[in-house]
Amino acid sequence: MILTPGAFVRCGLIAVAAVILQISGLGTGRVFGGYVDLVPLVVVAVAIYAGSIPGASMGFGVGLLLDLLVGQTMGISSLVLTAVGYGVGRYREVRDPAHGLMAIPVGAAATLAWVLAYAAVSFMLEIGASVSPVVIREMIATTLLGALLALPVFAICRRILRPVLLIDPLDLRRRRQGPRETGPIGLRGLEV
Amino acid sequence: MFDSKVIRRRRAALAIFVALSIGMLTAYFGESGGGVFHTLQRGAQEAFAPLETGASRALKPFRDLFGWFGDTLDAKGENEDLREEVEDLRMRLAESDTARRDARELRGLVGLTEAEGFPQGTEPVAARVIARSPTVWYSSVKIDKGSGDGLREDQPVIARGGLIGKVTSVTGGTAEVTLITDASSAVSAQVQPNGASGIVRPLVGKPDDLLLDYIEKGRRVTEGTIVVTSGLTSSRVESLFPRGVPIGRVTRVDPQEVEQFQRVHVQPFADIRQVDYVQVLTERGSATEQAGVALP
Repeated sequence: MILTPGAFVRCGLIAVAAVILQISGLGTGRVFGGYVDLVPLVVVAVAIYAGSIPGASMGFGVGLLLDLLVGQTMGISSLVLTAVGYGVGRYREVRDPAHGLMAIPVGAAATLAWVLAYAAVSFMLEIGASVSPVVIREMIATTLLGALLALPVFAICRRILRPVLLIDPLDLRRRRQGPRETGPIGLRGLEV
Repeated sequence: MFDSKVIRRRRAALAIFVALSIGMLTAYFGESGGGVFHTLQRGAQEAFAPLETGASRALKPFRDLFGWFGDTLDAKGENEDLREEVEDLRMRLAESDTARRDARELRGLVGLTEAEGFPQGTEPVAARVIARSPTVWYSSVKIDKGSGDGLREDQPVIARGGLIGKVTSVTGGTAEVTLITDASSAVSAQVQPNGASGIVRPLVGKPDDLLLDYIEKGRRVTEGTIVVTSGLTSSRVESLFPRGVPIGRVTRVDPQEVEQFQRVHVQPFADIRQVDYVQVLTERGSATEQAGVALP
């Protein structure tokens, strides 16, 4: 990502829009026992397009905003989302995924990681009440909804971030060429 | 990607964010309600409140659409239950009318000032829900009324059906309501009509199932009975909730032969997940001085 004021504004807009939409409406709509969670999706969308440092920064910022606006214990969401954003950013840097449908597994994995890590941290810190098995069902349903919503969310984030991206993984995929069909067998693909 | 400077920068960024998060967590737990982070939260909530109100209004059709799908699936089964309940309520209404007449006479006889049913001496303030906690671990909602409307911390909050929580933080124009389904919630309650008392606690992740715990084993509680706030008061402690606010109905009694106390499951009257409008019972006085010793 090109670190310009425009890049920060774009990331900030995504963060504020996602958090406001989440707490003001989408988070309450129950579908098959789960709820739509935009928060991890926008964090990993930034991480997958921009890398680990922007991913971790976005995770921290979105988590901080969420904790501030919801009034819950500060630091939990930012800690978990920083880890999720960094992890997905590192995955992009190491594996360089460029498949058009990569958003689906990445979105599902990130949502699952978010709900599990959030639950774990909440338990360690302060939750002392009984927990129903319904929570597990809700986590699974939320993960599936995350997978379903990942494609449109990633597409919107990509559209917003594209002008400030150094490398767009999806563009990279289009530019990749297949191996050369001619030349000495040991030198195929090496442009000799 | 493998440049050592890039690796160092990446690790440093991660370490800074993690350290900041842990620092915030530690500081938040260590400070009082008037500390820096709590004040920052209230300020941010105040600043974003107009945006949240607008988004809440704009997204209402989508919420209703989500709700419609779920409601349609549930409606068929619910219809039968409601018919039975209507019959039951008709009978109860007749009994209640008789009991009210009797009670009025009895009050006159013994000079009771406490009215039965809904608590007296409270001024309900209607408010609209503008934001909700997105996780199941912290059940709270934000409403569009605040200290400017007479709201104070610890005031009880009701919705259609009965009690849903209490005010836990107030700004000028908004307030945060911690629901009775929040993991930290506990409400002293009483089963009607036998008067068995206990503490209503949440079952995290199951907002339509509360636990009424610590009921004396000798007091027999049956399914279908009503649970209301007990408003217990003694020389040392006072409940934050006034007596007689309906909470829910007993749906199941756990057979626990070896336990000292009984535990029953209660279905709240209020639909806590779908609540859009609430009423805050003001003029009960701020309980901040009592918070340290008060029953929840």
